[in-house]
Amino acid sequence: MRREENMITILSDYTRQEAGERLEQKLRERKIETELIAIADLYVDPCYSCGGCTNKTYGQCIHRDDVDIILPKLMRTDVLVMVTPVKWGSYSFKMKRIFDKCAVIGDRHYYCKNGELVKGKIGRVHTFVAIGVKAQWDDEEKRAFKNLVEENIKIMNIRGRAYLADDSNLSDCLETVAEGLSK
Amino acid sequence: MKKAVIINLSPRKVGTSMMLANHCREFLLSRDYLVKITHLYPNLKDLSPLLAAINEAESIIMIGPCYINTYPADTVYLLEELEKNQNNLHGQCLYAVIQGGMPYVHTHESGLKMLELFAGENGLRYKGGFVIGMGAMLNGQPLSKLLNGKKAEKMFGHFLENVAKQENSPAVLYHEAQLKMPGLVYCIMAKIMNRKIEKERREKQGDQKKSPYENPGLDLRHNGKDRTIDCKR
Repeated sequence: MRREENMITILSDYTRQEAGERLEQKLRERKIETELIAIADLYVDPCYSCGGCTNKTYGQCIHRDDVDIILPKLMRTDVLVMVTPVKWGSYSFKMKRIFDKCAVIGDRHYYCKNGELVKGKIGRVHTFVAIGVKAQWDDEEKRAFKNLVEENIKIMNIRGRAYLADDSNLSDCLETVAEGLSK
Repeated sequence: MKKAVIINLSPRKVGTSMMLANHCREFLLSRDYLVKITHLYPNLKDLSPLLAAINEAESIIMIGPCYINTYPADTVYLLEELEKNQNNLHGQCLYAVIQGGMPYVHTHESGLKMLELFAGENGLRYKGGFVIGMGAMLNGQPLSKLLNGKKAEKMFGHFLENVAKQENSPAVLYHEAQLKMPGLVYCIMAKIMNRKIEKERREKQGDQKKSPYENPGLDLRHNGKDRTIDCKR
């Protein structure tokens, strides 16, 4: 079993191919401590940009919804894997609602990297992997999704990468991700 | 008279996105447009007024904040609903404006790309966008208050000219508007902002540095609702 500081959490929206569940199984087979959070049945309200997490309950959203389940789990993870259907080169609606609220547990400080300002980690997450799933991709959307994930990684000042899965390469893609995470 | 609809994609009705929406509205009014501003968030339960406004317009201008490198989640919801209600889409011009805290164009540009891809799949004519950096710092104040205020105003003006003429607006305009400073200046800015952040944290949170979400038995009781987190769930 891996050390606790290398805990992997898979945040997975519904995909027809059950990509999140299959990845969890592959990681568990490799004896990697993994937790799957299937978000399809969870409900998360929008971030209303109300400032409550700064002015009323510092570091905590003032609205009660299922991020109360998700964020404590993310606080304990070192590697965050998002498995998401891709819409117009971006995350699914449900996944993005959660991602928007992750800012609450993000490091608020600014850092300088390569001469640019960046922000800090979400909790203690040091690696971010996003697996975009589509029945089929076109090249422009591939570039858009990869670019978005790379910007996410850049702004959080952590490691990671994007993977693009479709019906033809999903098994190989999950194998590659599991292999990469087990190193 | 041409009709345009400006959609405020921000959850806030006052703030930088609305400042830009009002700026855009005034400009188009001066070019003899009939302009309507509609807000996404108050219409989330029933998007029909918003869909109707889109249907009636020849130009759609979507203006919103950048949350983690693209528009907030509910923009995706709006696009999904528009895709389901294709009868409201009939080749309108679509323009995108995104504003965020970081001064760099690349941080926010994915939002524009999302709208461009949506337009391509749904029979809209994507005509370009504009990125405003340091929008969070502005907090609703006019563009002239930015460190690069003069240039940002001028380039945004060129963008609005293109919107009024229903012409393509090139990315070079917002690239030109980006604040360009040496890395050392950003490092100093980071130190100043971090001091402010720490001061704010001490005032609000005292010496408790941990996030409340790190406490597994946390009792989250607010807004009259009781709920205890069960982290094993």
